[in-house]
Amino acid sequence: MYLLWLRVAAILYAAASVAVFPAVLYNQLRWRKICVHAGGMALFFHFVSAVEMLALAHRWMPIHVREVESLLGFAVAGLFFLAWWLYDAEFLGLLALPATFLLIFIPSLGPGGYVFPSQGVRTSWLIAHIAALLVAYVALVFSVLASILYLVQERRLKSKLKPKQGSSWGFFDWLPPLDTLERIAHASLEFGFPCMTVGLIIGAVLVQETPLGASYFLDPKVIASFISWFVYVLLLLVRRSAGLRGRKAAYLSGAFMVVMVAVWALNLFSRVHKFGAP
Amino acid sequence: MSKHAPTLVLVGVNHKTAPLELRERVAINRDELPEAIRALAAMPGVLECLIVSTCNRVELLASVDSHDVDPAEFLFRQFGIEPSVLGPHLYQHRDRDAVRHLFRVASSLDSMVVGEPQILGQVKDAFAVARAAGTVSGHLEHLLQCAFSAAKKVRSETHIGSNSVSIASVAVDLARKIFGSLHGRTVFLVGAGKMSELAARHLVEQGAGAILVSNRTIERAEYMAEEFDGRVIPFQQLYDVAGDADIVITSTGAPHFIFRPEHGHAFLHKRRNRPMFFIDIAVPRDVDPAMNNLEGIFVYDVDDLQQVAASHMQERSRQALDAEALVDLEVDRFHQRQRTVNVAPAIVAMQKQAEEIRLGELHRIHARLGTLTAEQLAAVEALTRGMVNKFLHPHMQAIKKAARDGDSARLDALCEAWSVHMSAEKEQAAATANAGEPEAAEQRTPHNHENQLEARR
Repeated sequence: MYLLWLRVAAILYAAASVAVFPAVLYNQLRWRKICVHAGGMALFFHFVSAVEMLALAHRWMPIHVREVESLLGFAVAGLFFLAWWLYDAEFLGLLALPATFLLIFIPSLGPGGYVFPSQGVRTSWLIAHIAALLVAYVALVFSVLASILYLVQERRLKSKLKPKQGSSWGFFDWLPPLDTLERIAHASLEFGFPCMTVGLIIGAVLVQETPLGASYFLDPKVIASFISWFVYVLLLLVRRSAGLRGRKAAYLSGAFMVVMVAVWALNLFSRVHKFGAP
Repeated sequence: MSKHAPTLVLVGVNHKTAPLELRERVAINRDELPEAIRALAAMPGVLECLIVSTCNRVELLASVDSHDVDPAEFLFRQFGIEPSVLGPHLYQHRDRDAVRHLFRVASSLDSMVVGEPQILGQVKDAFAVARAAGTVSGHLEHLLQCAFSAAKKVRSETHIGSNSVSIASVAVDLARKIFGSLHGRTVFLVGAGKMSELAARHLVEQGAGAILVSNRTIERAEYMAEEFDGRVIPFQQLYDVAGDADIVITSTGAPHFIFRPEHGHAFLHKRRNRPMFFIDIAVPRDVDPAMNNLEGIFVYDVDDLQQVAASHMQERSRQALDAEALVDLEVDRFHQRQRTVNVAPAIVAMQKQAEEIRLGELHRIHARLGTLTAEQLAAVEALTRGMVNKFLHPHMQAIKKAARDGDSARLDALCEAWSVHMSAEKEQAAATANAGEPEAAEQRTPHNHENQLEARR
């Protein structure tokens, strides 16, 4: 029965993870309510599941990896709600709720994990995983491109449209307004984030079926991918909470692009997640 | 009908040839324009005419039946100005030069601010008034349509009008480069001078939202606020409110900077780094230039705006060279078309002659054909007409081409081969076309207008 409660908790954490982004980044009251209710219920079912799981095992000490993962997820979610209640630190949910969901996702699939009904279904999920991550990369490239154009246009306007010796600003007359470039850069980032999240979750579903199991998550590229996801969250959070825009936001997008390129480059060092690998 | 071919004459004064005092005396307002055009049309020898009257020019364009007709006399008589006073300031163009001048005017190449868009509308208005007054028909109508087409081409194929050249419009352009759409943007007028009023008007026309006005003299601020349906801000609340504005236009008489970097930091903090645009048109300046170093704040003073306007003007001058070449090309095309129109009677005569031959031959063999049903007769008619048309087609094209090229020798040979002749005036037109002035022989008579239109098609 504990597995059922854990699955219910996983679904509710997923809903809360989705709701926390508009709640924090756009200050949407309706999404905040959804986040609180879904997260609160998830925590409750998670608690029931954990108690039942340990009671059934006739011990209070978690031994198996899945038990540890589940309890760790419960601790993360519990601390988050405590911090929210005490310090109104709602923004922590951007990291805590998706992390909790990722932690209990594999245990909620049961001891045997999830087995795809056919190779075709598995391939479809693999395609979705690759497509989602590629779209995230493309969105990031667009964001960086818009940021570079922003810097050029800003420099033009700051220099009073006076070209430097031997150059011509007239060549850049086609550049869109600063506000438009800023919007493109930000919207691309926001569009890329859910794509990256979905891509990583699908990746986790795919890997739990392989014999590699948890060792898969020790691969440098996989670790870097999850770290880059956290950096992505921080980037969005900083942009929104600090009102970061313009030149600094453009530099930050550029820096994140470097991080993503580095993750891509880690392909060279990866043993289990390498392009061209069987 | 006159013995002489119609001539196109353009007479006028503009900002380059006459001082404002003189232009004021000959200016015709829109209400008086129809009457003035009719008076000009009533002059002996004037076949068609129109008058373009703007603040920078008054021009009479007329198609006259003799070289002796001088529309300048209309100006002297109409406005009671001695020829010795107005004469030295007048310019007069005929035929090809008149066409070229009209095309240049419509394309805004002869304007005070090259590339300004209003002149085309003003010429179109003048044409509409003349048409309503019944003083333009085939010749001038075709000429004006070609002028509008040339102007449109100049505007679309060159960048002559793409950059603003006035300080107020440069400020609006810059605001658009920063904010994109100006809809809903808040504009704060600090100081309520004429220049800031003009800039604010431009911004409002582009959709700017709330207008805030602050001035040491409250009456002036109230007047401005009322003008733009805005809100008066007491001068003491200047720094509290400035942070809410996206665009700040300053024009106070303060001897020191009103806005300094520390204010900029506070505004940006309040605005969560949303950009601000300061248009400083005060002398001495109201905004510390160091504010421009702050990220998100853009400061342009009068000199900056003037420099941008000057660079745009230079760009327009460069584009004007391309536009002049385009106008010359359009003038050539206009003349080519005119020459084609001139051979219309010859083509009509050729068609008539061929039709007579066809009908004669049909009549001749009618008895030998015996009794034909209506369908059979129609088939024979269609067959013979089709054959004649196909046979004539290359010859008609050859005549049109010779006319377009101004090749009168070839034109004569073709006409002679068909034993057809152009009217005396047409022949003269073809001859002068060859000499480079074909339009001098332009003929406008009611009976051949249809033919000319046919040939133009």
